[in-house]
Amino acid sequence: MSKKAVASASNVEQAKKRAILIIVPGIVAVVILYIFSLTIGAYQITFDEALSGFVEIISTLGHPDDMGSKVIMQLRMPRSIAVILVGSGLAIAGAVMQAMIHNPLVDPYVTGVSSGASFGVILLTLGGVISAANVTTMWFIPLGAVAGAVGGFMVTMLVAESAGGKAMSYVLGGTIIAAGLSAATTLILSFNADRIHSITMWMFGSFSSITWNNILVMIVPIVAILIIILFQARKLNVMLLGETQAQYLGMNSRNYKRNMLILSAILTAFCVAFCGTIGFIGLIVPHLCRMVVGGDHRVLIPTSMVVGSLVLLAADIICKSGSAGELPIGAITSVVGVPFFVYLMVKEGKRYAM
Amino acid sequence: MQCDECSNGKILDVEGMSFAYAEKTNLSDISIEIEPGEFVAILGKNGSGKTTLMRCVNKILKIKGGSVRICDEDIATLQMGEIAKLCTTVPADAPVDFSLKVRDFVALGRTPFVNSLWWEDAEDERIINQAMYDFGIEMYADRRLHELSSGERARVLLAKGVVQTPKLMLVDEPSAHLDIKYKVQVMELLKMLSEKGMAILMANHDINLLTRFCDRILLLHDGKIIADGKPNDVVTQENIRKVFDIEVEIVQSGGVNYVLPTGSTGWDDLVR
Repeated sequence: MSKKAVASASNVEQAKKRAILIIVPGIVAVVILYIFSLTIGAYQITFDEALSGFVEIISTLGHPDDMGSKVIMQLRMPRSIAVILVGSGLAIAGAVMQAMIHNPLVDPYVTGVSSGASFGVILLTLGGVISAANVTTMWFIPLGAVAGAVGGFMVTMLVAESAGGKAMSYVLGGTIIAAGLSAATTLILSFNADRIHSITMWMFGSFSSITWNNILVMIVPIVAILIIILFQARKLNVMLLGETQAQYLGMNSRNYKRNMLILSAILTAFCVAFCGTIGFIGLIVPHLCRMVVGGDHRVLIPTSMVVGSLVLLAADIICKSGSAGELPIGAITSVVGVPFFVYLMVKEGKRYAM
Repeated sequence: MQCDECSNGKILDVEGMSFAYAEKTNLSDISIEIEPGEFVAILGKNGSGKTTLMRCVNKILKIKGGSVRICDEDIATLQMGEIAKLCTTVPADAPVDFSLKVRDFVALGRTPFVNSLWWEDAEDERIINQAMYDFGIEMYADRRLHELSSGERARVLLAKGVVQTPKLMLVDEPSAHLDIKYKVQVMELLKMLSEKGMAILMANHDINLLTRFCDRILLLHDGKIIADGKPNDVVTQENIRKVFDIEVEIVQSGGVNYVLPTGSTGWDDLVR
């Protein structure tokens, strides 16, 4: 027993190396895919043009002369930036929820956060409080989303925690709350039949109408929350032990769980505020990443950010490439997400005590 | 052996502690003293309050009366993080939902000491490596927790407890779901830790393992400690009858009392 342990390679160094090996190529891939996504759309732009246009926009500080570059700058750049932000935001919101509820089968969509945000926004826009085009009232959209998301999630959490706090309680509670909220949404819609089209687009998710002003509103809260969560990676690991065992290690786990869940609800709200509900990114991305890099959040969180962006960029490119016009991105992610969820449930259901 | 930081030489000093859930009194007038290097077991029937008692010691539950001092510090004045530096709690099993790698799981034991937001420092890593080596789990470092057998997982849990460098280790039913070989192995490992100076308080149902390995046994009955002493003095026909309501035969082997459950529970009387 008194023998010294064989000097093994530093685990921390290995983990850092693994993180860098994934994240650096990941960021390069995001940039390439981003520029590629600038080429997709009604107006024909080649990859070389997109690249030079991108450089021109940056070098002229946003005053390009070229027609192609103007299309890129006014329409496609903000859209794809939003896609990147929302992709990593939803992936991280999912990863945090999964760590807090100790179950990889939950995400913002399943737990009713997204439908809460939808309801909040629709109530505000169709209630006539705001018009989406006006910059000063544009802040009301994310505010409505945040209020709806946090409100919806609080109710879900209340129901789930009083039913034992198991993942199944969250999934069931979320489903019920989402059903209630979408019924309310439908009622509001039926009183505003004339404006249904723009809102249905929002309900199934679309990046087609994102502007630079939207980006301005989204970018600060999303990036700030992502940074906060990055710094929580170690504590997220501790929370994987469960509430009681985390307490044994000195954490105030009940408060921490509540705070992090609310933070991820707010993150979700800002993600869906302008582009509408996009399901299953928060479920699929962290799960895939966990399969490859393992459960350590210090590697998992940055990896999920990068992969979330990549996956949503790819999905948005598919939406833009549709020959019959724009496809709703939320429908695309759900078409992939639902079978994925079913697969996980059938394969891992026993282990995750569903 | 003396604890460097405690003036009275006691790692754990519980005095007249009581605890109650709502109206029902669960523990009353509990007094326990444990010195460095002592391996102490709590014995009592299901629901007698063994786990509750431990949860009072590590402040997960708030005691109603009396005091709990760890290394001469009153836990009422300590933050959870400070208690975690003095006292570790080894649970019966690890959560397997998320399949952390074994090395990452053991590293979590350093949590109370890690100051940086992200990574453990070189000293943490040295302690973790040493514990992985000492408990023979080095080769599992990159395996996922759920891939290990329950015997291997028990060693991982102990290693995680040890990297917390505690003075006091609380162990809740460490061998409940292990086969006989690993039950003995866990006891050997705990004995080894106590011989190195750790104070250990363990709840366990395996009377025969307790008499063989522990230095002292506390008998918990109706929320009170009704016996506290050397295993052979505590584990007697009379005491077992009183606490567990069953007749047993005591046999001695190598100077240790072992219990043979020869009596019947009298369940057929209940039916008639």
